[in-house]
Amino acid sequence: MKMLIYACVLFWLQAFFSPVMAQSITVSGTVNAKTGEPLSGATISVKGTSVATTTDVDGKFQVQVPNANSILIVSYVGMATQELKVPASGNLSVQLDDAGAAGLDEVVVVGYGTQRKSVVTGAISRVRAQDLENVPSNRIEQALQGRVSGVTIAQNNGQPGATATIRVRGITTFGDAGNNPLWVVDGVVVDQGGIGFINQNDIESIEVLKDAASAAIYGTRAATGVVLVTTKKGKSGKLTASYNGFYGLSRANRKLDLLNATQYATIMNEKSVNGGGNIVYPDPASLGAGTDWQDAIFNDKAARFSHEVSLSGGSERSQFYLSFGYQDQEGIVAGPISNYTRKNLRINSTHKISKIFTFGQTLAYSNQKTVGIGNTNSEYGGPLSSAINLDPTTPLVITDPNVANGNPYSSNPVIRDPYGNPYGISTMVGQEMSNPVAYIQTRLGQYNWSNDFVGNAWLEAAITSHLKVRSTIGGKLSYWGGQGFTPFFYLSATVRTLQNNYNKSNENALMWNIENTVTYNNTIDKHNFTVLLGQGSYVENYGGASSVTLFNLPITSYKDASFNFDIPQANRNSTSADKVQHKLYSLFARVNYNYDERFLFTGIIRRDGSTKFGLNNKYGWFPSMSVGWNISNEAFWPENKVVDRLKIRGGYGEVGNDAIADFGYLSRVVGGYNYTLGQSDGIITGYAPETLDNPDLRWEKTAQTNIGFDAQLLTSLNLSFDWFKKRTTGILRPVNIPGYVGVSGLPVDNVADMDNTGIEVELGYRQRFGDVLFGVNGNFSYIKNEVTYVASDADFIVGDASFQTMGPITRTQVGQSYNSFFGFQTAGIFQNQAEIDAYRNKDGQLIQPDAKPGDFKWVDQNGDGKITNDNLDKTFLGTNLPKYTFGLTVNAEYKNFDIMVFMQGLAGNKIFQGLRRLDIDNANYQTKVLGRWTGEGTSNSHPRVSTTDPNGNFTRMSDFYLEKGDFARMKLLQIGYTLPSRIVERIKASRLRVYLTAENLFTLTEYTGYDPEIGGQVLGLDRGVYPQARSFIGGVQLQF
Amino acid sequence: MKSTHYILIIAVLINTMASCKKDFVDIQPQGQFLTSNYYQNKEQAFAALVAAYDPIRKNSGGFENMIALMNSGSDDHYTGGGNASDGNQLQAFSNYTMTSNLMAGSYWNDPYQGIFRANVLLQKLPDVPMDEESRTRFAGEAKALRALYYFNLVRMFGRIPLIMEPLTAATMYDVEQSAPEAVYAQIEKDLTEAIDALPPTVALATEGGRFTKGAAKALLGKVYLYEKKNDLAAAQLAEVNGTPGGTSAFGYKLLDNFADLWVVSNKFNTESILEETHSAAGNSDWGFWGSGRDEGNTLNVMVGPRSYERKDNAAPDLPSGWSFNVFTQNFYDFIKNDPRAEATLLDLNALQTAGHADYIPGYMNTGYFLNKFLPRKSDVSTGGGATELNYRQNTYVIRLADTYLMEAEALGATGARAQALLDAVRDRVGLPSIPVSMNAIKNERRAELAGEGHRWFDLVRWGDAPAVLGSRGFVAGKHEVFPIPFRELQGTKLTQNPNYD
Repeated sequence: MKMLIYACVLFWLQAFFSPVMAQSITVSGTVNAKTGEPLSGATISVKGTSVATTTDVDGKFQVQVPNANSILIVSYVGMATQELKVPASGNLSVQLDDAGAAGLDEVVVVGYGTQRKSVVTGAISRVRAQDLENVPSNRIEQALQGRVSGVTIAQNNGQPGATATIRVRGITTFGDAGNNPLWVVDGVVVDQGGIGFINQNDIESIEVLKDAASAAIYGTRAATGVVLVTTKKGKSGKLTASYNGFYGLSRANRKLDLLNATQYATIMNEKSVNGGGNIVYPDPASLGAGTDWQDAIFNDKAARFSHEVSLSGGSERSQFYLSFGYQDQEGIVAGPISNYTRKNLRINSTHKISKIFTFGQTLAYSNQKTVGIGNTNSEYGGPLSSAINLDPTTPLVITDPNVANGNPYSSNPVIRDPYGNPYGISTMVGQEMSNPVAYIQTRLGQYNWSNDFVGNAWLEAAITSHLKVRSTIGGKLSYWGGQGFTPFFYLSATVRTLQNNYNKSNENALMWNIENTVTYNNTIDKHNFTVLLGQGSYVENYGGASSVTLFNLPITSYKDASFNFDIPQANRNSTSADKVQHKLYSLFARVNYNYDERFLFTGIIRRDGSTKFGLNNKYGWFPSMSVGWNISNEAFWPENKVVDRLKIRGGYGEVGNDAIADFGYLSRVVGGYNYTLGQSDGIITGYAPETLDNPDLRWEKTAQTNIGFDAQLLTSLNLSFDWFKKRTTGILRPVNIPGYVGVSGLPVDNVADMDNTGIEVELGYRQRFGDVLFGVNGNFSYIKNEVTYVASDADFIVGDASFQTMGPITRTQVGQSYNSFFGFQTAGIFQNQAEIDAYRNKDGQLIQPDAKPGDFKWVDQNGDGKITNDNLDKTFLGTNLPKYTFGLTVNAEYKNFDIMVFMQGLAGNKIFQGLRRLDIDNANYQTKVLGRWTGEGTSNSHPRVSTTDPNGNFTRMSDFYLEKGDFARMKLLQIGYTLPSRIVERIKASRLRVYLTAENLFTLTEYTGYDPEIGGQVLGLDRGVYPQARSFIGGVQLQF
Repeated sequence: MKSTHYILIIAVLINTMASCKKDFVDIQPQGQFLTSNYYQNKEQAFAALVAAYDPIRKNSGGFENMIALMNSGSDDHYTGGGNASDGNQLQAFSNYTMTSNLMAGSYWNDPYQGIFRANVLLQKLPDVPMDEESRTRFAGEAKALRALYYFNLVRMFGRIPLIMEPLTAATMYDVEQSAPEAVYAQIEKDLTEAIDALPPTVALATEGGRFTKGAAKALLGKVYLYEKKNDLAAAQLAEVNGTPGGTSAFGYKLLDNFADLWVVSNKFNTESILEETHSAAGNSDWGFWGSGRDEGNTLNVMVGPRSYERKDNAAPDLPSGWSFNVFTQNFYDFIKNDPRAEATLLDLNALQTAGHADYIPGYMNTGYFLNKFLPRKSDVSTGGGATELNYRQNTYVIRLADTYLMEAEALGATGARAQALLDAVRDRVGLPSIPVSMNAIKNERRAELAGEGHRWFDLVRWGDAPAVLGSRGFVAGKHEVFPIPFRELQGTKLTQNPNYD
């Protein structure tokens, strides 16, 4: 039956195969770039018809136009499209300028095809090669940061090679993984964590499908937005070789202002006395500045360099693009154990096999090696957290032989400097904190690596000029793991090992897909339409993991570590696991229609089946529809010099999200309820049902309405505006069922609902003033997140974030944004006993009987006349989700000089500043503590310090820990100089440009931690995040 | 028509792919079983039984363990820890500010998980193809475990739901609380049936830790005592105890040396009646701390001193810990002249003052650490996982000195047998006989069982809690039971205990 329907549809399409008849005029000519270089492969089409041709190697073309009134559209990827009248002479010489400000005429990738922007009806943002080619190469997420509206990107930390958190139009669902956008590289779906293989210079364009009307073509995985990455293809004609390289030095943007030894001793004395104890340090001044732990681990000359070579060209039959890249970056913290190297190779090619068949492929290989400090945003140890919390009175290195020969240095495997002196061990600050310089020595030789192969191959049959059939097979094969030796060491009584160990872990995963599409396009009279039918099968996560650890190797240094040592079985530990496959089966269709480029329509439908869902809801439909109206194409549109072009558009669609745990719908009996029986410590695996099953588990549905317009104003200003409302219903989350049910795992169900509403503005301006070419690209987004429903049996969900001993510090509740900060509200500081005595409830009792002058006055939220440690006196204190994001790029060219300024930032969020370990009484402080309350009138915001804290000034989650997260960052400042062609020609090159770049030159913010840019599951939870680097870079771009 | 052929071929291809989709998106979990196809043989039934044993681990496993909590609320300990909010759920019990929000759900959930697993097993057992002897024994163990979990729940929370078969999504919100009497009746029934089914002894090498007839009787005796059915209690406990100081019919006998009770390797000794087990072989790690996979003893690291540094051999060789459950000065004064003081308590202040050791004081530090459970350097795991979480010390749920004193109490603290039972406990540590009385038994329990998590339940059972714990904030008529955790009241038919919000 199905076959019949297909056949019918296809036969019906055939009915339109009749060729368009016309009385024709021949137009011939050339297409060049502004630079004079001939453009091969430029498209010349006749407006309102399906007539089109492309230029040859020399940029020449010839085309038959229906009549003398025809309009020719000349387009080329990356260049501004031009519309021209047929010249009387029949000869046309066209010079195309690069697209500069994203114009209405450029071609955008829309998933399984392309579309001219003038007829696009969805919300799609685009970053092009020329926006990226001057940016020092980084991970791809950084390339996108600040460049498109509606996309919030925060680096998870500043460690080289670190991933970033990306949110398209805010958060779509609860939790973390489910909010990552879908990455599609040349049609291959790639998981976000694995996107690091992409070389920035290989990117032709990045499109972000933001609204459901555009993204619905990716169905159940599109709710969080789709990022389409298209890599460069070769062009027929002259062989082009290019080299891009740079070298730079990095250092931290900022260090924290921490107490020096004298200040520390003063505070500790005051603390002790306030707590009823004695003076700890009799003479603080004698301690001087003490140890600056930050100085000891920050690397102010961290080197980074990059070399990239690419080669492209081809004949009319075959084109290729080849590139090789190598980049290396040292970290700015704990240099020896923080760096990143990537080597990558790409081969893309296209071959016209016959008149009908075209074959193409892409293949990328990448090797990454990451050496990391371990904890990049954690208060539980690691060099940063130790540097922040260790007391400055402990010396970096013990030089006094009396100390070095005593306990604990003499009796333990302490770490020593090159001169044999032991690194200092604090007697004041314990727990996970340890001498960070010594810590570095214990992690040498630990690294992570990955090898990724990503590619696809496709065969396209252009059966008629209207009908194309395409079959694609794509995949990603990844191997990754880590390796490292941990010596037998003693950093402190707590941070130590009892034996050395050597660990190696390997993981591998294969994902592949097959997609078949049929595309039919035609123009009949003024009706232009394209119909796409497709089918896809996807398999992800096919692979496994294993890890082995050897203990007690007969060596002391990582340099001697080897798995070849004959270690007894008892000292070997290993684990292994199979991955759970994730499969999808999909059918999809799209119709693009426009009438005379005035009335536009796009309809998409996709049907997905996923392994993640229960039998009752295995398949889901994802429809979308959008319409547009090019008002400026109407006859009634008055000729004017202000609004050249205007298109309004709107759409609605429903998409899904299946990024949830596997088998949520099955009642499984799992192991792991183990118990030890007998004298030999034998553990027996116990099996029990894990949770209640839910065969009705279904798709999380995200419905989105989008209304916007695209306009071209004053000939050189492009403006896009979008308003959207995104509503996610049936958010999948573990349901906190009553404990008396007795299951240990929480069942997953579709419970919560959430809205995101926002506006987005993108602006592009490009204008030449004499010798000066000036351009501005800006984007701005506003978004509001609100949870509208959490469950029938609860009015809130305890938040995902917790901090030290405070427990959860966020809460998700109806009417608030997801994971809002939730804690006590301070109302200043009690300046004297009279104020404490005056703070009474209606029964006349003291509300804070334990308070002393200098303590916080807490707001009694529930009005019960007391402040209790449960959640009743807490309130919502702000959101970690940024409300505003913006990016601004200003370009100017004058003769051979160019300059670029790129700023980016966000606002409207709060950051939890949790740098200090609260359970370590003697942990160091930031210098803010010097403004503490010391007597009446001294401070109304920072309470007194004391070793006892019955009022919970510091141990309670409160607004005391929250700071504004707003920032604006000078991301890039670049000055370039293109050498005059007479010099360049001497070395047979076509272009040589040198440049100087400052990356992250400065950041405007009130935030007092290292860096206001904090990614991760809860954006804005700063536990001492590895800060972003400020780099100064010099580079060369050379083209032959 | 050439193109038509292509189209047809493609259409057929697409259709072929489409028709195989049914299987394509169906996958089965690997390395796991489905409820529908498990419980097929004795081995699987045993694995289900082990899962029912698993929550006993809560006695001293995981941060939220029974001993740490019950000690925190007694007059013998402070919660301690790093600061006033370290272990909020313990601190709130220590200073009697507990609310339904602060009450850690796991103290409610974990026993119910044991009950759920016992219920599942009891439901499936009749249909499992296996020998009758094992079936009887498994059922007996499942019932004894269910009784143990209900006993802990009813003592802690009073009115609780009595659930005797697995709930489903459809029925889970219909549950109501039962009166404590009804729960106790079920506990008695389960234990009585278990006693008939359980073996008198088990092979300690391989089965140590499993329920025996003696363990079930000891538990039933204790249950009767809590129900104030003293005659019944005395009768059960007498069988467990046998002749005071001698070896009972079940092989129980007091250890000669009190300190040997706390030697890690001394598992399943003759004084042990019901023992909670731990192992380092689970390579426990933070990622599954407190879950079913966590086999280590967490109490050990919790009670250890922070950043402990041994300076010479006069100080014990200890790894560092988190300084929870330090003894109060009042307890120190009570125990300091008792022969059990040294095994019970480590006076770190004295060692520090004498220069033998150093440590960083924790919250409400007294310097008196719980020596019975201090982590030992020799017990630090050399395997994988976090060393903090892989201590091997088993803890006693019921031991013989406890049943001696319980029987003496059940006998009304009078008579020759009660005197003999008390004397036996004192004689073991070299203390002279004193006349038996309720007061003498109370003092003996406090000294003998210090730090083992019994004190608070004892004070409440005796009605002494308001007097002894009043200064901590204990309010009669409220604090005899914990508040039911907040979650349990959301959308259910449960109601909160009296005087809690």
